[in-house]
Amino acid sequence: MKKTFSIGGIHPNDSKISSDCKINVLPVPSTVCISMAQHLGAPANPVVAAGDKVKAGQVIGEPAGFISAFVHSSVSGTVKSVGPRKDLAGNNVNHIEIAVEGDEWADGIDMTETIVREIPDNETIISRIKANGVVGLGGATFPTHVKLCPPPGKKADFLILNGAECEPYLTSDYRIMLEKPEQIVIGAAIMRQVLGNPRTIIGIEDNKPEAVKTMSSVVAKLKVLSPSFHGIEIMPLKKKYPQGGEKQLIDAVTGRQVKSMGLPIDVGAVVQNVATSLAVYDAVQKNRPLVTNTLTVTGDCLPGDRQRNFLFRIGTPLSFIVDQIGGIPEEAVKVVSGGPMMGKAISNLDATTVKGSSSLLFLTAAQTVRKAESNCIRCGKCTEACPMGLEPFLLNKLARNGMMEELEENAVQDCIECGCCLYSCPANIPLLDIIRIAKGDVIKIIRGRQAAAKK
Amino acid sequence: MNKLLVSPSPHIHTKTSTASLMRDVVIALLPAVVVSVLFYGLSELIVLGVSIASCVLLEYLITRYMLKRPSTICDWSAVVTGVLLALNLPATSPWWMVLIGAVVAIGVAKMTFGGLGQNVFNPALVGRVFLLISFPVAMTDWSATKGFIPGIDAASGATPLGLYSEGGVEAISGMNYLHTLFLNIGGSAGEISAIAILAGFVYLLARRVIRPHVTLSIWITVFVFSGIMWLIDPSAYTDPCFNLLTGGLLLGSVFMATDYVTSPMSPAGGIVFGVGIGLITMLIRYFGAYPEGMSFAILIMNSTVPLINKFFKNKKFGRK
Repeated sequence: MKKTFSIGGIHPNDSKISSDCKINVLPVPSTVCISMAQHLGAPANPVVAAGDKVKAGQVIGEPAGFISAFVHSSVSGTVKSVGPRKDLAGNNVNHIEIAVEGDEWADGIDMTETIVREIPDNETIISRIKANGVVGLGGATFPTHVKLCPPPGKKADFLILNGAECEPYLTSDYRIMLEKPEQIVIGAAIMRQVLGNPRTIIGIEDNKPEAVKTMSSVVAKLKVLSPSFHGIEIMPLKKKYPQGGEKQLIDAVTGRQVKSMGLPIDVGAVVQNVATSLAVYDAVQKNRPLVTNTLTVTGDCLPGDRQRNFLFRIGTPLSFIVDQIGGIPEEAVKVVSGGPMMGKAISNLDATTVKGSSSLLFLTAAQTVRKAESNCIRCGKCTEACPMGLEPFLLNKLARNGMMEELEENAVQDCIECGCCLYSCPANIPLLDIIRIAKGDVIKIIRGRQAAAKK
Repeated sequence: MNKLLVSPSPHIHTKTSTASLMRDVVIALLPAVVVSVLFYGLSELIVLGVSIASCVLLEYLITRYMLKRPSTICDWSAVVTGVLLALNLPATSPWWMVLIGAVVAIGVAKMTFGGLGQNVFNPALVGRVFLLISFPVAMTDWSATKGFIPGIDAASGATPLGLYSEGGVEAISGMNYLHTLFLNIGGSAGEISAIAILAGFVYLLARRVIRPHVTLSIWITVFVFSGIMWLIDPSAYTDPCFNLLTGGLLLGSVFMATDYVTSPMSPAGGIVFGVGIGLITMLIRYFGAYPEGMSFAILIMNSTVPLINKFFKNKKFGRK
């Protein structure tokens, strides 16, 4: 029996249409706009001004707090402007606009393809991960160096690599597991060493048998070469959404459940995405800053020969990527950045790619336009689907009546916004829309109470 | 493409809808419908026709002209109520009686509360029980009507449960259970073939329309409770197989106790609900005035659902 998480979950069609598309290097556009808010936490402070010459890989933004990250230029050229622009969700964020001239990389960056297997000491590892702006690429973009330094008194028993890629359509993690498996495993070994050699498990869903095979053979090969790769294993997981959710993945792999409002390290687990592991390899072994990532361009309405997995530079305008695949398909009404379950609908294609960009997904009206809401028939499908064991139908009713105390008692704050409830509802009730707002309000109340208790 | 559509996640939706779920219930009822029409003939066809037509029409008229809302008949739930009501009545029921049943089911039990999803009690059962209390003679008139299969005539007279209620265990000696599995010896239309109802149950499970907890816990409770009573005194109490196969137990446990709206949300709650139905059914059958207790048992347990929902919840992730 393959493992999976214990509560709820759904089985949408996985639609991995672009899984056979090899990673193509996306051409460099003539202008890039690099966001200063590509990570969770405080946006970076720009350290260049209009007119400055920059090289690819040069720092252009410095962290503005403990939870923040460096931002580097992804191209060489001249800074044209520094100032607010709309990101893909329509929010105003500081961007640095750079006119591209040539492709010259900053000193000390190893751009060769030679695999480096020798792992440096822990201090070097952390300083390189931090200096090269590595953030979690599984969705939350949490600064990686912070996650790899557990608070005093807490110890990691497990390092879990997330290769589940449970969102339908996305194939970028799958492609890097096939095309860059050795770099990913070395990245895992690096993080494992920093965390004090915990048991390291790479979880991959069983709808990707090729990835399981490739990664397993690389692990076997590396184990023979050096003892630093012992203690790394591949675990195929039974396909179920949202397996890639941090709490769900920890439950699936270790059987431990992170407590409400708790952190993974509380149960001795650190989770990193496979794409983050690749970024860690690049940062530590090649001293390459995180200025590229892999992105899937897909959708049922996009013809097979226009499906892509692109290696892109951060700051590339989305419209440039759309032009590369011959424009937006006629039938598409919505473009999503990320997967169809948790991704963000893009409001403007002038926005640019960020470190955490994982896809451009085109959806048709038939797929995505919401149908009219009807009466709740109390079928319980939302309760059955909720991976946190909540009762979305109840939270919906409580939220619509503004019953904050009852919402907190019924654990609205535990919601991970995976979308299983809204996806499953036969009456088309916008459960998550309503619960998401209620969750924000309840968390504000909890924080306020905690702050008051401290005083 | 001119404008991009922007809305919060998730961006895709399951194909399952209220209408598709209700349609699946109608499909699952088809074997029982076919068997009852073959067995009871034209008169059963009329009962079915009047019941479905009046349920759908009443819902349409009430939503459009009394509530002034868009009609909800496209969700198929009125059809489900119509079929279930018909299968709960004798084939000899006159058309006006079926119509009264439909008025009570849709008008009183369903729409008064706000329509699908809001009702506390199963509409078809409320209709049936209303008729049973109002027209006790007509509702237990199991006289034969001419079926569509030559050579097989519907049995006339009392149902096995009626016989037991009147004359005790002796009255039903010589009953053949194999017979009940395929074609029962009298009873309301939906009760005559266990196999037809079980086929519907398997279909509902396979299509994931219902979960098995409620139905199975009713069966197990009835089997265990009547088993114990029968072992204590086989001359006074009917045996477990008899109780599982007769009356509305199968129809009720598969199609009416599992009604989404009037049953608990969690699997644990479903088990409590099912055990309650099983126990009340058997208490009525053994000790009550009515020969059959399924309808009353389900309605009584319907009223406990909000309480069950409050106390039997799913386990939450990372909490005790």
